[in-house]
Amino acid sequence: MKKTIFPICLAISLIWPGSIQAQEEGAPYLDAVIKRFSLLKDYTVDVKVHFDIEAFKSPDMEGRLYYKAPDKMKVDSKRIFFFPREGGYFNPAAFKPENFEVNLLERLIEEERKAVRIRLIPKKARWPGQSFILTIDTERNLIRGIDTSPSGGREIKASIEYGRFGQFDLPTRIRLQLDIPSIEMDGTRFFDPSLQKAKRIRGKIEIVYSNYKVNTGLSEEIFQEKERALKKD
Amino acid sequence: MRLFWFEIYKTFSRWRTYISFGAIALLVFLIEGVLRLKPEEVLYRATRSFQSDFLISGNILNGWFVTALIMNSLHVHIPFLITLVAGDIVSSEATSGTVRLLLIRPPSRAGIIVAKYLTALFYSAAVVLFLGLVCTLLGLSLFGGGDLMTYQQGRFGMVVIPENEIYLRMLLAFSAAVWSMTVVASLAFLFSTLAENSIGPIIGTMAVVVIFFVLGNFPFDFLQDLRPFLFTTYMNFWHGFLDDPISWQEITRSASILGLHNMGLFSIAFIVYQRKDIKS
Repeated sequence: MKKTIFPICLAISLIWPGSIQAQEEGAPYLDAVIKRFSLLKDYTVDVKVHFDIEAFKSPDMEGRLYYKAPDKMKVDSKRIFFFPREGGYFNPAAFKPENFEVNLLERLIEEERKAVRIRLIPKKARWPGQSFILTIDTERNLIRGIDTSPSGGREIKASIEYGRFGQFDLPTRIRLQLDIPSIEMDGTRFFDPSLQKAKRIRGKIEIVYSNYKVNTGLSEEIFQEKERALKKD
Repeated sequence: MRLFWFEIYKTFSRWRTYISFGAIALLVFLIEGVLRLKPEEVLYRATRSFQSDFLISGNILNGWFVTALIMNSLHVHIPFLITLVAGDIVSSEATSGTVRLLLIRPPSRAGIIVAKYLTALFYSAAVVLFLGLVCTLLGLSLFGGGDLMTYQQGRFGMVVIPENEIYLRMLLAFSAAVWSMTVVASLAFLFSTLAENSIGPIIGTMAVVVIFFVLGNFPFDFLQDLRPFLFTTYMNFWHGFLDDPISWQEITRSASILGLHNMGLFSIAFIVYQRKDIKS
């Protein structure tokens, strides 16, 4: 009996403090990012979206994105406009440490800057096993990459480039790599029986941001139309 | 040419010729009216695959989208409307007892059959182009313009075509649809030369179209192997003009195969008509 208990105790003693340490070490990096953008109240930006997805052939799409802290967002375009829900826009408040279990994975040097990779496990996950891995530039406190875990059959990787706009570093380019499940489009099989069954949506999306207007005091009315639409859904 | 215009005059003097145009106008008006009243359902179905991962805005349900949607049902009702005239164009002479009178006059049998065939083709083109015109004009007035979002041909996925390209692409798509429907007209025309009444060619043509369509779409390997030999397989090649990239090779192949069908069917009809015994 003693022979069995000893290794278990040893394993727990080795793992337990480590996990606490990881939890303690990961959260401050996230806090630093959020603190850095605490003065960012709103922004509007022109976006250009380039799709490189087999299941979605489209010319580049252009639109305008509105953001108001903490979590209001709207896209607007006169033409047809598809904008990725995950990773497509910059919202520093999206990763509040209190909403996640944060673990430090590794420290690294990325593009000659110190960085860390931390794992975020949502306390209220949208699907089982959901988690994010953020790469944070610890010298500038910027999120450089977001990887969603390959859980729920979906995987999204985002890499973010920044530019200086006023007192803020904001994204100038986000590259997304998608591998997500899809649903067959209703009715199409009747009209076009030669259609193949639904496949995964795989490919890349590049979003270029330009013409930022920061902290202009965007009114709530801009976002109300979308809220009404959501309630309707 | 004179014979052709004479046949056109004869065809468009009959009230039954206008059944097709009336039916198309009514159908398009009903479909677009329903879409106007309940746009949410169509939008949801059209974008369901992408809604969970993309925010979607813009005028998706526009006149071009509605036109493409209605065009997808082309193979269902247009063949029937075409056979109404193409299946009747030769046999009606026998039914009405004018065939002898017609064939003892100076114009040659060859001239008469060619004029009748060209009239059948002209009528088919008129029906399809009328559908395109009504769909587009009513669609644009009810739903406005914009980019066209449609399905990828034969694959899972979607295509967005910018509005400045749509005019030309739609013109090409409808031209291709006309070409597809000429095969139905040719088949009905052949049956019309074989029959002494109009019902047989109309029902016969529809039976062939429906059987070929059903056989080609049953998900069994043996029947799938038959697909290349059924002309209905190639009839929706018009959709290739609304795809990205446009598969010119596939379009050319389908158009050529349908063209060969036209030539074959007309050649048989020509021979049958040349040998037709009008004395008995």
